Amino acid sequence: MGVSFERVKMAFVRILEELEKNRQYLNDLDAPIGDSDHGDSVTNAFRKVKEAVDKYPEGDRDIGKLLQEVGKSIIFSGGAAMGPLYGTAFMDAGKVVSGKPELTPQDVVTMWEAFAGGIARRGNAKMGEKTMYDTIYPMVESLKASLAAGEGFEEMITRAIERARQGMESTKDMLSLRGRSSRLGERSIGHIDPGAASSFIVIKAFLETLLEK
Amino acid sequence: MKKFINHPENLVEEMLEGFVKANVDKVRRLPTERVLVRKDAPVKGKVGIVTGGGSGHKPAFIGYIGKGLVDAVAVGDIFAAPPVQRVYEAIKAVDGGKGVLLCLGNYSGDVMNFGMAAELAQAEGIPIESVIVNDDVASSPKDRMDNRRGVAGEVILWKVVGALAEEGADLAKMKEVGTRAVFNTRSLGVAHTPCIMPSSGKPSFEIGEDEMEIGVGHHGEPGIQRMKMMSADEVTELMTLKVIEDLPFKSGDEVTVLINGLGSTSLLEMYISFRKVAQILADHSIKIHRTYIGEFFTSMEMGGFSVTLTKMDDELKRLMDAPCNGVHFIQH
Repeated sequence: MGVSFERVKMAFVRILEELEKNRQYLNDLDAPIGDSDHGDSVTNAFRKVKEAVDKYPEGDRDIGKLLQEVGKSIIFSGGAAMGPLYGTAFMDAGKVVSGKPELTPQDVVTMWEAFAGGIARRGNAKMGEKTMYDTIYPMVESLKASLAAGEGFEEMITRAIERARQGMESTKDMLSLRGRSSRLGERSIGHIDPGAASSFIVIKAFLETLLEK
Repeated sequence: MKKFINHPENLVEEMLEGFVKANVDKVRRLPTERVLVRKDAPVKGKVGIVTGGGSGHKPAFIGYIGKGLVDAVAVGDIFAAPPVQRVYEAIKAVDGGKGVLLCLGNYSGDVMNFGMAAELAQAEGIPIESVIVNDDVASSPKDRMDNRRGVAGEVILWKVVGALAEEGADLAKMKEVGTRAVFNTRSLGVAHTPCIMPSSGKPSFEIGEDEMEIGVGHHGEPGIQRMKMMSADEVTELMTLKVIEDLPFKSGDEVTVLINGLGSTSLLEMYISFRKVAQILADHSIKIHRTYIGEFFTSMEMGGFSVTLTKMDDELKRLMDAPCNGVHFIQH
């Protein structure tokens, strides 16, 4: 089965719905180790994304271009540290599926691999630094493993979401090494990273939409 | 939360509306983006200076727009870096044909957004240089200077490069002198009361009634040590000595002193603190060239202050002494 252009478009509607619901939760996660606005920043950014997706020309069904429009909109108007990171990630994801009106399971994996690469490139991110990368990287590894093992699409997606959740939760025990929260040193331990949490919401909403009947 | 605001979501917009109306003689707002520029920007033949960052630091950043200071400010949300598009529009609005200098604090969000905007502008043929401020000695050890954040030292940078631009210096010269000013600037802050975040109504950090934190950042980032409250003399001595030993400032040096209130500390307390700074500098045979005391770079209503010293040379002295006519920083 392939993932249609319309389904990808719908994914961004779902992402925004989930972020709106979790806005305060993300602000609260950000309070002890940041400045309690991550929910606001990321929700505002994806409101702009929704506008960009709604404006996407009727009849053009290029998923790669759509993702790049999403990325551009976050880069240009996102702000904070989140803007360049999510923006670059969606730009890079779009580039590797350029011209495709439909995604195969392989394309889905390639797309998220490029997404993770974008985060790593823009933020010099590595695993274990208590960032969004700790959610994203294990999720991508899981997708790749499932694909290689010949798992079905639904199983592959469900497993990847679970790995992303574990990745997010693993940030709780980590010492922050990046961004403003790294100033906290030991005091950053015991809190889930807000970026890891928002990227879990984004990934989960996106991937679940791909499974909707 | 006790604040005289309307809705937290509209706070930055409403503040800007008031600011622009109050200062129509000096600033204007770009129609398309949340960017304020000097009224007469772009000034032909002058290097443009763009700064910016999160809101919540009044009078920084927008209070420093004006002749002899900065040309444009890209305004972010409370404590959040402005997006790329805003920085890019700011650059375009102040390019007077000699390129644009970006002045920013060393925060990952600011560095990424300004960096990407710089790439866009360079691709269009606008020469860009950046000076990144990292004066906060509390934010990382000296062997990790690249990890230190920028605090009140940004004010010194704006003053120096702003004066230099008015003299007609080129972009390379501005970069060189700005970098030297930053390298010679060291700051340390203390806070005993957090600010309240308007979005959540919660304090930016938790601290006991009788405690203070040495080295606290401009967004309430924790510092190097939490201690019981001290007297003005005790805390000033602790901070000033740490600042002196960091560069280190030496006997015979001349310095500019900046005592910066973080939002709710009174001028009365800052003068008491400065009295002690002056004594310590005299004991070290360090001469004071100029002194600035007041609220230059706050963290909304945080309680506390910072001490900044900048080592002067002849060129930096001339630039610090030059007149400027910013909205909140006027020097004759």
